[in-house]
Amino acid sequence: MKVTVYSTPTCPYCVMAKNYLAERNIPFEDIDVSADPAKAMEMIKKSGQRGVPVIDINGNIVIGFDRERIDELLNQ
Amino acid sequence: MEAFKKELENPENNRKECDVLILGGGPAGLTAAIYTARAKLDTIIVDEGIVGGQVASTYQVANYPGTDGVIKGIDLVNNMKKQAVDFGARIDDMQALVKVELSGDIKKISTGKTDYFARSVIIATGAAPRKLNVDGEDKFTGKGVHYCATCDGAFYYDANVIVVGGGDAAVEEAVFLTRFAKKVTVVHRRDHFTAVKSAQDELFKNPAIEVLFNTEVKAIHGTDFVTGVTLFNNKTNSSYEMPIDGIFIYIGNEPKSQMFKGLLETDERGYIMTDENMQTSVKGVFAAGDLRKKEVRQITTAVGDGTVAAVMAGRYLAANGN
Repeated sequence: MKVTVYSTPTCPYCVMAKNYLAERNIPFEDIDVSADPAKAMEMIKKSGQRGVPVIDINGNIVIGFDRERIDELLNQ
Repeated sequence: MEAFKKELENPENNRKECDVLILGGGPAGLTAAIYTARAKLDTIIVDEGIVGGQVASTYQVANYPGTDGVIKGIDLVNNMKKQAVDFGARIDDMQALVKVELSGDIKKISTGKTDYFARSVIIATGAAPRKLNVDGEDKFTGKGVHYCATCDGAFYYDANVIVVGGGDAAVEEAVFLTRFAKKVTVVHRRDHFTAVKSAQDELFKNPAIEVLFNTEVKAIHGTDFVTGVTLFNNKTNSSYEMPIDGIFIYIGNEPKSQMFKGLLETDERGYIMTDENMQTSVKGVFAAGDLRKKEVRQITTAVGDGTVAAVMAGRYLAANGN
């Protein structure tokens, strides 16, 4: 299981998403796209949009903090 | 209605009872919860998103008393949330309402997963950003059209963006966006801003900001992402194109009262009518904060509304046998 969270420090839903994963003991890589323009581009390519959070769960892209979709992918 | 009955009778659904059900966890709802929970009333807050309301995505709050004037919005609401939870309020977040029944002594609210049975309800669902309603707006939302600079501003490093609007939020967020964007153009349909003077001073002294008064956005264009807008000068009646990477819209709000339509009295725009005690047209149902019909919508007034609604809900319950 590889989970990556693309986020910015000022975005409240990003904080929520990261807390949600942490509470479930899911290890994830946290990428601050405001500090890393190359990673921001990578995120835009993967998701087709410019908005955070974007969560990559084993190559499946979740846009926004969509708890149901996250649960579904984590349980696969 | 039939579907709702079925849903309410669905034994799979969680069932929760409480004295005070607060719909919406912004400053109004959280303040109400602090008061009702501290008064030992069984209190649940239900929020469709994360608790905090619009303040959660406001970068900085300058005018909330008792703070240093530079508190981050998310910190301010997290403090309120902690206070409410410490007094015993329960919070159910990420729960959109699917059905609302307010008429009886017991109010029934369902989120599809949980059925709530409440002896009183405080509606504090707040307001959401108003849309421009122009071509391209929906198509490019999240792809160049944004309503939250603190969330998405960072994608516009070294870019050209426009901010639409002339109130406090438009002016303050335009200044915030200069952290990232190389140029911010503020487009406003009137010939002056309505934002507070200090915020305007900040804006006018910022060399990265240009202001276009008497100008309206008529359309948003792009391919995968926004590439430009059509602007219209309402003084000269001329239209022109402007290449742009992103557009942030701050033209005010509209009440999130769709779920209560027809259940209680609202004005023509959907703002809920109350008396000075936050009592709505339905017994045992109170409203507080931005979705209430009133003149001044600030965090401080939301907090005041929440206080009044909570105290009056407590008195209503006491008078009805609590």
